[in-house]
Amino acid sequence: MHALWMRLRLLARMNWMLNVSALLLLAFGFLFVYSASFLRDDTGQRVMLYQQQIRWALLGAVTYFGLALCDYRRFRSVTWWCYVAALVLLLMVLVSGVRIGGARRWLSLPGVAGMTFQPSELAKVAVVIAVAQFLGRAGPLGTGTLLAGVATITLPPVALIVLQPDIGTAAVMLPVVWGMAFAAGLPLRWVLAPAAAGLLLLAIIVGALVLPDRMSADPEVSDRIARMTGLREYQRERILVFVYPDRDPLNRGWSKRQSQIAIGSGGIAGKGFLEGTQNILGFLPRTVAPTDFIFSVIAEETGFRGAVTVLSLFSLMLYSIGRAALRARDKFGRLLCAGALLMLFAHIYINIGMTIGVMPVTGLPLPMISYGGSFMMGTMALLGLVQSVYIRRIRFPSAESRSILGDW
Amino acid sequence: MIYSYHEEKRQRRRVMMLTALSLVMLGSLAVTLFGMQVRQRDHYEGSLSRQSIRRVRMPAQRGRIFDRNGRLIAHNRPSYELVLYLEELRRPGPWANTVREVMSVLDDLTVLMGEPALPDEDRVRAHIHQRLPLPLVAWRDLNPRQMARFAERRRDFAGVDIQPAPIRDYPLSPAACHVLGYVGRADPAQDDKETGRAFYLPEFEGKAGIEAQYDELLRGKAGGRLIRVDAAGYRWEDMSERPAVAGSDIQLTLDMLIQQLVEHELADVQGAAVVLDPRNGDVLAMASSPNYDHNRFVPVILTSDWEALRRDERSPMLNRAIAGRYPPASTVKPLVAIGALINGIMDAGTRIECTGSYNIGPGASIRCWRRQGHGMLVLQDALKHSCNPFFIDIAIRGGYGMLLHQAAAVGLGRRTGIDLPFESPGLLPDDTWKRRTQGDGWRTGDTANVAIGQGALLVTPLQMALMASALANGGRIWQPRLAMGIWDADTSSMNRLPPRLIHDIEWPPDMLRTIRYGLRDVVQARDGTAYRARVPGFSMAGKTGTAEVGPKHLDRKHGWMIAYAPFERPRYAVAMVVEDAESGGITVAPRIKRLMEHLLVGEGL
Repeated sequence: MHALWMRLRLLARMNWMLNVSALLLLAFGFLFVYSASFLRDDTGQRVMLYQQQIRWALLGAVTYFGLALCDYRRFRSVTWWCYVAALVLLLMVLVSGVRIGGARRWLSLPGVAGMTFQPSELAKVAVVIAVAQFLGRAGPLGTGTLLAGVATITLPPVALIVLQPDIGTAAVMLPVVWGMAFAAGLPLRWVLAPAAAGLLLLAIIVGALVLPDRMSADPEVSDRIARMTGLREYQRERILVFVYPDRDPLNRGWSKRQSQIAIGSGGIAGKGFLEGTQNILGFLPRTVAPTDFIFSVIAEETGFRGAVTVLSLFSLMLYSIGRAALRARDKFGRLLCAGALLMLFAHIYINIGMTIGVMPVTGLPLPMISYGGSFMMGTMALLGLVQSVYIRRIRFPSAESRSILGDW
Repeated sequence: MIYSYHEEKRQRRRVMMLTALSLVMLGSLAVTLFGMQVRQRDHYEGSLSRQSIRRVRMPAQRGRIFDRNGRLIAHNRPSYELVLYLEELRRPGPWANTVREVMSVLDDLTVLMGEPALPDEDRVRAHIHQRLPLPLVAWRDLNPRQMARFAERRRDFAGVDIQPAPIRDYPLSPAACHVLGYVGRADPAQDDKETGRAFYLPEFEGKAGIEAQYDELLRGKAGGRLIRVDAAGYRWEDMSERPAVAGSDIQLTLDMLIQQLVEHELADVQGAAVVLDPRNGDVLAMASSPNYDHNRFVPVILTSDWEALRRDERSPMLNRAIAGRYPPASTVKPLVAIGALINGIMDAGTRIECTGSYNIGPGASIRCWRRQGHGMLVLQDALKHSCNPFFIDIAIRGGYGMLLHQAAAVGLGRRTGIDLPFESPGLLPDDTWKRRTQGDGWRTGDTANVAIGQGALLVTPLQMALMASALANGGRIWQPRLAMGIWDADTSSMNRLPPRLIHDIEWPPDMLRTIRYGLRDVVQARDGTAYRARVPGFSMAGKTGTAEVGPKHLDRKHGWMIAYAPFERPRYAVAMVVEDAESGGITVAPRIKRLMEHLLVGEGL
C-alpha cells in the first residue's frame, strides 16, 4: 500500500504544462470530431464517432499515466522486444491485413467485431524508442557505427510500411530519425548530407514525373520514365496534383480547394460551433473531415482565434517536451523526448500544412485531435514516456550548467 | 553521468535548436493562417457565397465497333440530358430535407418536360448517399421542344442544367445483337467511391457480348471541369479542366454481309449458326435466333421491356451460338470414324453390315434411321448414309476412351475461349461424370448413344463449327476470335491481333482424306443425306444430324448441319442448328445451301 502511494506521489512531479495542453487538445478533438460527423443523421452510423474517440482517449490516458509512473530506464530491457513485435505485426498486415481502398494497413482485432488497428502507428513509437536506446548507449559512438545502426533499425519497418503501401507514414519516420541523430550529436556534415540527398531524390522523382511532359516527350516515353520512379499510379498522381492543382479538379484538387475555402472563410472569429457551412453541408469530403481534414473544420468554425489557440497549445506541448529533454537525467531519456518532439512536430506541420495548401495531401493525422484509435494510442504512449523522463529529471541543475543553459 | 561534459553540452544545444525550429515553423503556419483568415478572408468568403463551383463530368466517347470490312456497327450519337447538381440543391438539416427539395424540383420539371423523370425517390436518396458529387440525370435524350421549354424557364431552376451526352447507337440493329451485347448503368465498386475514382468512371458499362468483354478498352476515361455558375445557373468562368479520353475503337472479324445472310436464314426459326474461317479461326458470322433490338437498351431500357425480354420463354437474350447446349446427333460421327481409323479398328475398305438395328445387350437395341438397313457398307458410304449401326459397332469395338480422346482433341466439353462472356463448355460425359450425377458406371449402351450424338453429350454450335473447321483445315484448332484489331491512338492505326493456333491434332492425312471424301459425298452424292445443300458448280463437304430431344411422345427434334466449302481449299466452316426441325437434311441443308450460294457465287468463283 505504501509502495503504491509512493509511486502515485510521483504524479505530482509530472510536467503539468504538458498535461494541460494535452487535455485541452483532446477536448478540441472531441468537440470537432462531433461537429465533423454531425450530419450523418440519416445514415445513423457515424454519429457516435466522438464517443468512440473519447473511449480511445480514456484508454490512451491509462497508457499515458501507466508509462509515466514506470521508470523509463527499465524499458531498456524490453525495447528490442517491442521493436520485434512491431515488425511481426507489420508482417501480419502484409499477410492477412484488412484491405480498404486498395491498401492493406489494418489488422482486425480478435474478439471485437469490426474493430481494426493500424500497426504502423505502433511501429512509429517502437522505432523512436529503439533509436533512442541505440543512440543513448553510454560512451562515444563512432559516426560510421551511428549511421549504420540507425539505418539498420529504421529501414526494415519503413520498408514494410512502404509495401502496404502507406508512403506518408513511412516517409514521416525518416526526418524524425534524422532529427534524433542530429540531437545525438552527429557531426553536422553527416546531418546535412542525407538531408541534401533526400531533397535531391525528391527533386529527381518530381522531375521524372514533370519534366518529360514539359519537354513534350512522347507520352509512352514519359509514362515509362514515370514508372521508373517505382511509385504506384495514385502516388504519382498525388505528387502531380500538388504540382498542378488543376490536374484532378473533381476529387483531390476538390478536397484541397474546399479545405482552403473552409479555413479562409472562417475569418477571425469563425462561424460558430456546428455552423461551418463547408463542413455541415458536406463540401469538405465527409470521409476525411473527422480524420485528415479535422483542422479545416476547427479553423472554419472557430476562425483564426481558434486555429491559433490550437497552434499555441501544440507549441506549449512541444515546448514542454523540449524542456523534458533538456532536463533528462541521461542520454536515453533525452533522445526519447527528442524523438517524441520530432514525431509530433512532423505530424502537426504536415497535417496543418496540407489543410492550408502548403504541403501535399498525404493522409497523416493531426495528433490528439484527428479521429482514430491506433494513432491516439501511439501519441499517448509517446507523451507518457516523456512524462516518465520528466518525473525522473535532474531536479537541481548544477550552478555550472545553469550558467550555460539558463534554468528551463 | 559517464559521457563527457562536451558531448552533453552539444546534445542539449541541439535539442534546443530542434525545439526552437519546430516552434518557429508552427509560427509560420500561424502566419499563413493569418493571411488566409484575416487578410484574404473576403476572397474566400466570395468563393463561399458563390458556392457555385460546379463539378461537371465530361463523359468519354465510347469506342466504336467495326466489322472486318470497316462497316460501322456501333457508335455514339450526340444527345442532351437534363441533370440536377444535388450539392447546389442541398438544404440545411437532415438529408431528408434535401431529398424532399429534389423531389419537388423534379415535380416542377415534369410539367415542363411532359414526361415523368427517370429517377424515383429511392434512386434520388441512393444517389445522394453514393455519388453526391456526380450530377443526377433526370431526363435523357431530350427532344428540341423539351430543350426550348427548359431554356425559357432555366432562371427558375438553380442547380439544374442541360448537358450533352453521347449515347450508344447500333445502326444495323438487331444484326449481331448477341455478339455486340449492350450497355447499361455502371455500378462503381466500393473501392472507387473511397478513392474518388468514381468521378472519372463512365456512367455506362458493357453488360453483355463484345461491349462487356472489351469494356476496359471501349469505355475510355471521363474528364471533369470546374466551372463557376451564378444562382441562375449561368457560367461565369471555367476554372480548371481535365479532358476526357475517348475509348479505343475495335474491329471485329465479323463480316456483316455474311452475318445478315445467316440471320436471314434463321429468321423464322429458333436456333443458331456460326461461320468460321478455317484458316485462322476468325468468326465471320455468329447468329442466334430469336434476337432482340439492342437499341432498346439505349439510353436505358424501360423496366417493362426488360421484364418482357427476361420472361420471354424463347429466351431471346440467350446467345445460343455459344451458350446453347444441344446433342450433336450424327454430326459427331466423323470423330468416331477418325478415332476408329487411327486406332486400327478398321480401315477404309472394311465392310460392316447394317441390318436396320444394333444389339447392344440382351433385350436392348438401337435402330438405324432406315428400318430395312443399309446392308454391307464401307466407311465412306456409312458417312454418306449416316448409318447408325456402323458407327455404334466401331465405337463399341474401339471403346469409349477412343471417342473421348477425339472429342477432347477438337475441344468438346471445354470452353473454346472465344472473346465473349457467358460461354458454355457443353458436356462431354465420362465414367466419373456418370457416377457423380447418376450413381451408375459407364455402360456399353452409353458409348453407343454418344457415338450417334444422342446420350448425354452436349455441344454448342461454336464447338461444332470449330470441329468442322478442323476437318476442313487438316486438324488445326485455331482460337476462335471476334476482335481482330484494336485502334491504337498513338500510331493512329488499327493494331492487328495475330490469329492464334491452339493446337494441331495431327490426324494422319490419308485417314482424314477418307473421312473428307465421305463428307463430300454427304452433300455432293445424289443419295447423300445433305443433297439439298448442294450448290451447282461448287464442291462442298458436310454432315447432317437430327437429334431427338425430350420425351419420346412429343417427337421433338433438333436439326443440325456442319459444312465446309470449297472442298479443295476451304474458306468457310459452318455449323447451324435449328430447334424443332423435321430433320437436318430437310430443315437445315436448304438453309446452308442458300447461305453457301451467296458466299461462293457472291465471290465470283
